[in-house]
Formats: sequence, structure tokens, C-alpha cells
Amino acid sequence: MELLVLLYALSTLYFLLMVWKWVGAKRDQECYILDYECYKPTDDRMLGTKFCGEIITRTKNLGLLECRFLLRAIVSAGLGEQTYAPRIMFSGREDNPTLLDGISEMEEFFEDCIANLLSRSGISPSEIDVLVVNVAMLSSVPSLSARIINQYKMRDDIKVFNLTAMGCSASLISVDIVKNLFKSYKNLFALVVTSESLSPNWYSGNDRSMILTNCLFRSGGSAILLTNKRAMSNRAMFRLKCLVRTHHGARDESYGCCMQKEDEQGRVGINLGKTLPKAATRALADNLRQISPKILPMRELVRFMVVNLARKMNGSSSEKTTGAPKTKVNFKTGVDHFCVHTGGKAVIDGIGTSLNLSEYDVEPARMTLHRFGNTSASSIWYVLGYMEAKKRLKKGDKVFMVSFGAGFKCNSSLWEVMRDMGDGNVWKDCIDRYPVKTSDNPFMEKYGWINQEMDLDPSTFKLVPDYI
Amino acid sequence: MPPSLPDFSNSVKLKYVKLGYQYLVNHILTLTLLPIMAAIFVEVLRMGPEEILNLWRSLQFDVVQILCCSFLIIFIATFYFMSKPRSIFLVDYACFKPPLTCRVPFATFMEHSRLILKDKPKSVEFQMRILERSGLGEETCLPPAIHYIPPTPNMEAARGEAELVIFSAMDSLFEKTGLKPKDIDILIVNCSLFSPTPSLSAMVINKYKLRSNTKSFNLSGMGCSAGLISIDLARDLLQVHPNSNAVIVSTEIITPNYYQGNERAMLLPNCLFRMGGAAILLTNRRSERRQAKYRLVHVVRTHKGADDKAYRCVFEEEDKEGNVGISLSKDLMAIAGEALKSNITTIGPLVLPASEQLLFLLTLIGRKIFNPKWKPYIPDFRQAFEHFCIHAGGRAVIDELQKNLQLSAEHVEASRMTLHRFGNTSSSSLWYELSYIEAKGRMKKGDRVWQIAFGSGFKCNSAVWKCNRTIKTAIDGQGPWADCIDRYPVHIPEVVKL
Repeated sequence: MELLVLLYALSTLYFLLMVWKWVGAKRDQECYILDYECYKPTDDRMLGTKFCGEIITRTKNLGLLECRFLLRAIVSAGLGEQTYAPRIMFSGREDNPTLLDGISEMEEFFEDCIANLLSRSGISPSEIDVLVVNVAMLSSVPSLSARIINQYKMRDDIKVFNLTAMGCSASLISVDIVKNLFKSYKNLFALVVTSESLSPNWYSGNDRSMILTNCLFRSGGSAILLTNKRAMSNRAMFRLKCLVRTHHGARDESYGCCMQKEDEQGRVGINLGKTLPKAATRALADNLRQISPKILPMRELVRFMVVNLARKMNGSSSEKTTGAPKTKVNFKTGVDHFCVHTGGKAVIDGIGTSLNLSEYDVEPARMTLHRFGNTSASSIWYVLGYMEAKKRLKKGDKVFMVSFGAGFKCNSSLWEVMRDMGDGNVWKDCIDRYPVKTSDNPFMEKYGWINQEMDLDPSTFKLVPDYI
Repeated sequence: MPPSLPDFSNSVKLKYVKLGYQYLVNHILTLTLLPIMAAIFVEVLRMGPEEILNLWRSLQFDVVQILCCSFLIIFIATFYFMSKPRSIFLVDYACFKPPLTCRVPFATFMEHSRLILKDKPKSVEFQMRILERSGLGEETCLPPAIHYIPPTPNMEAARGEAELVIFSAMDSLFEKTGLKPKDIDILIVNCSLFSPTPSLSAMVINKYKLRSNTKSFNLSGMGCSAGLISIDLARDLLQVHPNSNAVIVSTEIITPNYYQGNERAMLLPNCLFRMGGAAILLTNRRSERRQAKYRLVHVVRTHKGADDKAYRCVFEEEDKEGNVGISLSKDLMAIAGEALKSNITTIGPLVLPASEQLLFLLTLIGRKIFNPKWKPYIPDFRQAFEHFCIHAGGRAVIDELQKNLQLSAEHVEASRMTLHRFGNTSSSSLWYELSYIEAKGRMKKGDRVWQIAFGSGFKCNSAVWKCNRTIKTAIDGQGPWADCIDRYPVHIPEVVKL
């Protein structure tokens, strides 16, 4: 009988060992952000009001109407005087960008941001196992990821991915790749580098739907260091709870609303169509529908269902039309902070209304738009930096990130804050001036008269230089 | 004389020591269980049949005990099977077959060249010499925009080429596999040099109306090895998402990247790169096991970007007149050799049979202890694989690899014939080569295939596939080789006189 007991004992032990390994494996699959760094370009790249006016006047192709349109756009954009532009704007060559301009813009960012991040977190480049780079509008041979590997001398068995053309929501797509890799492999360090290359993409024509991108996009970028090592969890800043991606490319109007094409003169630019706001709202609604069950507490979901059911029953019995306002889910029950993509003032307002957010909630996004402009995929990290600098993030808080991209995509994710944070990071030298009221901005002071100009007679219209 | 591949060095030795140690430690449980089982067996033999019968009768079988025991066994079995990594199957793939109107015979190419570069006869002659020795045939294709004199590479034409290549390949894939667009869970598109906004993956989602929760990725800039990088990504994603289909589209859009200047190092890609694309369906669904053609065994990626020379050898830059083109450096072959060596040192232990590994280990020990003058043993990869798909990067690449891996002409036939019929189609060339092997009826169940691709950066990636079922040659005229497979293999002379 001893043999049988021995057999039982061995098999039970083995079984317990496997269970323990399985549980351990699950804990090794968490996605932690160890550190992140947002890029602050040098001060000689700041774009002030005077220089904006100069750029508009020296652009030869702009007619009077386009000038007025541009000025109107700049005035109401919500940008401040300290946003950054690529160097090519300051040497006046934006109409003829060379390949080197785009690449050197990126290399300047790589040298600064990634080096800072790695030295601050004490990780050497040869320890990086996964590298995901997303820069939407530049694809070169060798890829930008190969440039980073060359510059920092990373290992030869590194898993590297170079994503392009995925729009302003690409950083969450990169995090998605990293999250999936963390589930299959143990003990990895991942580096996600996200930025936008503006030098080769200045639109030099005069199609109104395409010149808007010139006004809004600014230079910026960020690098994020992630890991799934359990030992690092006490140093981690954030833990990923869930990530949901929604792609509405199947609908033609969503797909066609933001498209890179040539205008009648053959100049390439990004056309922002009139269906953009509607496509965005639809994608956002779909995305929220998928992510709310994962992030909201049970009682909020139950309350929403009950209220909706009651309203439906009331509505069907008394045949009321859409007089009553729709019940909205209260996201603040499950989320403490909102990182909204700074696509523009309209985008932030739109998301604020959809999610029923207060001014306090959208303040980080508005201030980021004011200070850094729309830095495309890296914008949500600047918004996160603002919250951190304002000491809003406490342990256990939940941060919700949402961003849009061409195609039309809406990606969102929920992060849990792992420890109290208060580092100034990229906002260090200006956080004390914020929040500012964006309604009175220097562009409004200088060019606000354009909003009152009703009739535009070319013979009496004074050219812009007089007002600079 | 082209520089030969460097020999295997000491870096391999450490890997083998590590391997032995890892094997010992990882299988410690099995290794301890084995003596116990041996002891039980000996005990049973010693006891003899009557004693065993007595033992059997004396056992009291409690129902509870039996139940517990059986549950335990079932649990252990379930956990064991669940913890195994999922098998990834390649259900089928489709290669784009360019239309006849896009063909670029030598005469057409040279005529174009003479008209466009009329003030630079030396460049024209350079192109002619390259074409003569390139190993390309008369049926390779270039996109319609390049047929114009001068070429008209605008964005609309580039999108047109992308739509033509990608949609034909995908339609063909849907037809072959019976896949419905709504069943695609993961979509990965890789195209190195053309990435419009919205991305090519969004274009595919729009055309075929894929679901809104399809995970899409658009890789670019990763060169001719991007196809295997996509396979790697798909494999990692399929490990995490059960019961899913992944579609990979590999292509290279030539329209925006045709070099319009006259710098010689940059004119080379014009002579070699041709239009092509492939769509591949991978799955981890067990129900597809029977129909799947291949099972993915390994993917090994090596990146030599840390070395400056390797990084600079395939470089996109502007020439003096501002034309953008890709310049290939002269030490491309040596760097390719280095990258291949790194890749082989990782993949060797995974695929070589024990006999080869033992021989290699013994030779290594012998060299260290007995006589350093012994020649290092280069493992015979023909023992590990039946078929080789070497990226058809150019004739020189195939020649070098053939020499250094000691492959016969039949092993590299697929690569050479693909280069001849389709040219260098970048990341999709591996799929044309695989298609050739299948069309020739050489693919039998259990055959192992090794796909090697090089890319800018400098990368060397390999994938190992195992054939799941014997593949009959296409009788219904499908596939890119359907109309010409009987003419192949052709003899490709060293120099074709133009």
C-alpha cells in the first residue's frame, strides 16, 4: 500500500505544482508602465503668433479666402504661443522638404527622449527585448526602428515592429502589441516610441479641407518603457487593466473622412471630410459600448440597465418621441481621470459631452492642446504628464485613455495608478502657469478681427502684414 | 571575387553549453521520474505473476479512492494539454498573378531606360549589364504607372497598384479557402515603402467590410523580410487569442519608389524589384487541422542594426539632384553572411537532428582539447529540411547561400525560378517560391520547409514550416505558376546577351 500512497502523493504534488505555475504565469502577464517620457523640443522651435502670420503671408498659394479661413482656424484652435514646429518651418523650406529633414527631425527626438528615459529608469538599451515604433507619416528604409537599434546598439534578437499610417491612435495600438507579447513571453522589457513627422507633410496647396492639418499638428513625441516582470511591479507607475480597439473602416463614410490624397494641382495633403465628426462620434459610441462593461462597477451597469428599461417601458406605453434626454452612463463611477486625445477643441468638447465630463476632467486635455498643440499619437501621454505634474494621480486611481485615428479607429484603455506620483516631467517649467483660460489667447488678440470681417473686398482689404 | 561567408566562431560553443544545462534543468521532473518508473518495473518483474495476482486480490478498491484517482488523472491531463502552446496552421495562401499587360521584357526595359536617361549613356549601360546578369526573365512585371515615359508616380497611381495587388491576392485567398471576410480576427499588412493615410490595412478593412473589432496592424519600412516579421507577430497574437483567424498581406508597392535619377548604386533596385504580393491565412482553430497545408514550427529573427556597417548597407537617401532612391552598399554579401550566421546559431539547435548536433559538439570539443587545426564542422542542414525557400533578392544572394549551406541545384531551384519568372518581389517572394515547389508536386506530408529572408537594417529572419498534408499539383489552373510550370526549370545563363 505504501507504493500507492507514494503514487498518490507524487501525483498530488505534481498537480499542485502545475496549478502554482499556472497562477504564477498569470501574474507574469501583467503589463506595467515603468516610466514614460514626453519630448520637449528646444525653445528655438516655438511657434508664436508673429511667426504664424509670417508663415501665412509667405505661403504663395494662399488666396484671400484661404488666408481668412486659416486665421479663423488658428484663432479658435485653442493653441498657445509655445507649441513647437519642425525646423524646416524656420528655414523657410517647408515647400521642398528633403528626405533628410524628416529623418533628422526624428533623430533629434530619438536622441533626446529615449536616452533620458533609459538613463532615468536605469535600464540599458541592451536589456530591451521588444521595440515598437509608430510614426504615422514617414516610412523610410531602413525603418526608424532600425535607426533606434543602430543608435543605441540594441541586441540582435530583439523583437521589433515598425507601424505606420495608423493615425493618432497608434500609440495604443503599439501598447496592444506589447500587451499580447507579454502574455506569451516572460520577463520582457518593451520600449514603445511614438511620434509624428511633420517636415515632409506640410501641405503647400490651397484646398481648404487640407490646410487645416497645417494649423493643428505640432512637433512632439513620447517614449514609454513597459515590462511584465513581477519584480518590477513596485517600481511601476501604471498597470494596464484593459484595452479595446474599434475599427470602423467597413463603413465608407468613416473610411473616407480622413484621407491622404492629391488635390487638383497634384499636391499631397490630408483631406478632412465633413463626415469626420459623425464618424468620430459613432466610433466612440461603439468603443464605449465595448469597454464600459469592463471598466465600470457592477452597480453602475445595473443602474443604467434598469433606468433604460424603465424608460423604454414608459416610452412604449405613452408613445413619447425623443423628448426626454437619453440616460447617460456615468463614467466617473469607474474612472477617476480622463486622458482625451487633443485632436482639436471640437474633439475635446465632443468627448466631454459624450462622457458627461466636467471642466476639471477635460482641463488636462485643453491645457495640453494649449501648450503643445496636437502632437498626434503622443498627445495622450502629454495629457497624462499634466495630470502627474498637477499631482492629481494617487495610488489606486483609474485613468482612461481614448484616442481617434484615420480609418476610422477609436482606441481606448484603462490604466490603474500603482503609486502616488508628482514628478513635473515635461511640464516642469510651466505647470504653475496652468490652468489658463483658453478663450483669451494671443492669436485672438492679434487676429480676432477676422471673425468680424463680414465682406471681403480685395481692393479694400489690407494685407495681413500691416497688422503684424 | 565575392567575399565568402565567415566561418562559425566561438559564439556557438556557449550556446551548446547553455542548451545542455537548460535541458537538464527543464526536464528535471521527467529525469527523476524515470528511475522511479524503472525501479517499479524491476520490482514487478521480480515479483512474478502469482504474487502480482495475490497483490491484485488483496487490494480493496474504494469507490471514493477510484473516483479521486481518476479525477486527478483527468485534471493533470487537462492542465498539461492546456499549457502547451497552441499550434499555428497555415491554411492556404494566394500569390498575386500580374496581368500580361504589365510585362516588362528586357527590350522594353532597355528602351525605357534609353529614353529616360538619354543624357547618361553610362548609366544606361550599367543598367544593361545588371539586367544581363540579374537572373530575371522576360515575364516579370512592373505596375502600369511605371510604363509611362516618364513614369507618373502620383499617389493615385500608387493606391491603384496597391488595390490591384492586394485585392486580387485577397480575392484569390477567399476563393481558395472559403473564408468569409467576417471571420477574420487579425489583419496584418506589410508594405515597406508606401504608407498612405488611412493605412493599407484600413483599405482592406474598408473593401471587405471586416468587423469593427478586427485587430489590424500596418507594418512598414521593414524591408524584404517583413513577411516573416508579420508571421511572427501573427503567431504571438494567435497564442493569446483562441479560435482566431489571421490574414497577412505581404507586398511591395513599386510605383512611388521608382528611382528617377541616375546615381548608379540607386539604379540597381530599379532593375531587380518587380510587382508582386501574397495573402496568407493563419489559424489556431483545431477544426482547420485537416485542411491546413502547413504548421508553423519556428520563427527566428535576427537584427544586426547595432553594427554600423550592417545598418548602412541598404539605405534610402537622396542623390545630388534630390531624387530619392535606395542605395545598396558593396559589402552587402558579407553582411548578409554575418546575419545568416547569427540566425543559424539560434535556429540550428532547434531544428538539427541529434546526430548533427552531437557531431558538431564533438568536433568543437575535439578542436578545443585535441587539435585546434581540425576544421570546424558545418552542420548539414539538408538533414533538417527537405525544401529551402531563399528570398529571391538577387542572383548573388542565392549563389552565396547555395555555396555556404552546401545546397544542391535542386534545393535552390525554387528561388532561382521565382527570380526568373517574377523578379524580386520583396517580402512576397518566399510565397511564390513555396508555390513553385507545390506546383511541381514535390511537397509531401511531413516535409519541412525553411524560409530565409533578408531585409534592410540589417535583418535575417527564418521560418520553419512542416507540411501537414501531401499537396497535389493544381489541376484547375489556380496559382501563379499554373500556366508556365511545365516550362520550368529553365537554364539561366550567366550572362544574357542584350
